[in-house]
Amino acid sequence: MSQLLIHGGRVIDPASGFDQTADVLISDDVVIEIDRVSPGRDVQRIDAEGCIVAPGLIDVHVHLREPHPDHEETIQTGSAAAINGGFTTVCCMPNTKPPIDCTPLVELLRSKGERAKGARLFVAGCATKDRRGEQLAAIAGMAKAGAVAFTDDGHCVADAGLMDKVLRTVHAAGRCFMQHCQDPTLTRHADMNAGPLATRLGLTSWPGVAEEIIIERDIRLNRSIGCRYHAQHLSSGDSVEIIRRARAEAQPVTAEVTPHHLLLTEDLCDGYNAMAKVNPPLRTTSDIDQLKAGIADGTITILATDHAPHPLHRKQVDFADAAFGIVGLDCAIPLYIKALIGGPDGRGVIDWPAMLAMMTINPARLLGLDRMGLGALAVGGPADVTVIDPQLPWTIDPDEFASRGKNCPFTGWNVQGRAVATIVAGELRLMRARARAET
Amino acid sequence: MPETADHRHHLLALEGLAGDELISLLDHAKRFHTAAGSVPPTSLLAGRAVANLFFEDSTRTRCSFTIAAKRLGALTIDLTGAGSSLSKGESFLDTARTIEAMGIDVMIIRSRACGTPAMIASAVRCAVINAGDGRHEHPTQGLLDLYTLRERWGDFVGRTIAIVGDIANSRVARSNIHGLTTLGTEVLLVGPPALVPRSLERIALGPGRVSVSHDLDAVLPRVDAIMMLRVQLERHVGGAIADDYRALYGLTAQRAERLRPDVPVLHPGPMNRGVEIDSEVADDPQRSVVLRQVANGVVLRMAVLARSVGAS
Repeated sequence: MSQLLIHGGRVIDPASGFDQTADVLISDDVVIEIDRVSPGRDVQRIDAEGCIVAPGLIDVHVHLREPHPDHEETIQTGSAAAINGGFTTVCCMPNTKPPIDCTPLVELLRSKGERAKGARLFVAGCATKDRRGEQLAAIAGMAKAGAVAFTDDGHCVADAGLMDKVLRTVHAAGRCFMQHCQDPTLTRHADMNAGPLATRLGLTSWPGVAEEIIIERDIRLNRSIGCRYHAQHLSSGDSVEIIRRARAEAQPVTAEVTPHHLLLTEDLCDGYNAMAKVNPPLRTTSDIDQLKAGIADGTITILATDHAPHPLHRKQVDFADAAFGIVGLDCAIPLYIKALIGGPDGRGVIDWPAMLAMMTINPARLLGLDRMGLGALAVGGPADVTVIDPQLPWTIDPDEFASRGKNCPFTGWNVQGRAVATIVAGELRLMRARARAET
Repeated sequence: MPETADHRHHLLALEGLAGDELISLLDHAKRFHTAAGSVPPTSLLAGRAVANLFFEDSTRTRCSFTIAAKRLGALTIDLTGAGSSLSKGESFLDTARTIEAMGIDVMIIRSRACGTPAMIASAVRCAVINAGDGRHEHPTQGLLDLYTLRERWGDFVGRTIAIVGDIANSRVARSNIHGLTTLGTEVLLVGPPALVPRSLERIALGPGRVSVSHDLDAVLPRVDAIMMLRVQLERHVGGAIADDYRALYGLTAQRAERLRPDVPVLHPGPMNRGVEIDSEVADDPQRSVVLRQVANGVVLRMAVLARSVGAS
């Protein structure tokens, strides 16, 4: 029996509201004690003083690009990037080549995920066959094979009639539906946020209303169905109020936001900087303010990276031809800290327990993983733990990422906070030295 | 202009170019015209190599650059889409680096996408001239329009021009907006709401005002020049051009009568006669400066080429 002791950290379990200095003792793959522990002799010990000890972080929205002919990422490298960034569980999107729209592919990915020995891998299946938005995918079968969510991510299910059928089918399968909220008719060949900058650059405009009307429509469709509905990567500030209203009516609606939509604005696209090209696009400081207000009042309950790796040659082309996407797994923690917790001077949007809830128990509930005990840190529960040094300073350098994707607009940012240990099912999969300059 | 090695100067956009730089280019171009109006050859670019990289089709701009380069004594080569490596999937950057490795001093780039010349300029050591990139800018067209207007106006400050047509999709309009507002001219952008969004009023930084109007008849009496843009059907997505376009925004002979007699009519070409402009107006020797624009394009491009290699 192998034991692991995480000693002296601030243990935060948002699911139970626990927040105090304590030791966490793990035996095999189970947490057996959360308290002041007097360890036995042959216990491996992690010094967590000054650190936050959290339930293993969960990212409901990543692209691991497998299967895909370009090999821009694999389950191996993507789940290693997750571990490197402190995530113990990820949910991969089905916009692969071929798309994950049938039972055998779901099974294949799950078994590859287990062999990768990185983060736990859960699979989202396509909502429509071949992600073409024309015909239902084999939702019930994929759900039986273990798919935890359904989405055509990268495409919106735009046809309202088909969307109605998708919501009914996903609801009957007991899963959640994740919408990529983008009206295709308002975003043909669209490159970046609609506004004077797009007009000046001659790039094609992508208005926020393309997102808002899909959310509004879906919520109305779903009223009589009651499927768990999740709006992916909110970018438009006005989307927040639509979600807020639906949640006030106790509709089963959730929403996520990414680090880049909280920290970057469309200004980064100036000079045709393709690293800033992302779907949905970066918008304005006013959108960021509304997204943050939505986080502060509990409208937006999930943080997700939308980790979207691309080979550099797909970014080193004209803006209009460049791939959409930003990588996120390796560097998400300090970016969330910067956006939401704030610096030493305070003035944060939320506190640590609230932020960790958005990365643990809330995503676990969305995907139904809370039933397995994921997203919580409790005695008798699975030993998935992330230890975060909230002050550790470092400089973001994609060359040091575990991900193959280097398409990162945060390159060179000096940030604070990083996962120093990532534990999955009791196995220590990341242990980072807490080297810190003495001040 | 951003300066590169050996005093080479790119020309990627008119946005950001100071008024005195614009005027100095116009002055320099003027020196290539003799008193009789002809353009004698010079040897300013003798021994230099100029490459036309046209990732999008063009006839008049490419010919104009070629004549300008040859008048300056440069050697020229042309790469166009069909029949070159451009049609074989090579990336623009690889093409540009390959051509540069053959010993090129100036690269003239036309592209379908916005930002291609800037991207290439950051990857090569030779001078890069933007010959039109997507809907972004067409700086030498903007300069030749400034040159042509200056011939008629003498000065830019306090003047008003209407630019009419599909402004949203026009690189010519963007270069003119930046150049003209920098020099103090008021720019009225005229066309249907689907093609002339209000956000255009906020793209320029110069002292000249930019305003949007959807009523051509209302602005005709107050302008000092009018520039008709080609209706670019090939750039159109989403069916933004309605059947009443000509009725509302075409420069018909009847409408032209409402312009003051001294007001020049510009058009960057090629013209859709009977759509945005009537033949009576396009061929009116008193009003139309369309061919004058083309002629001025050569001396203007000579000035830009000379400047690009520091030979001005």
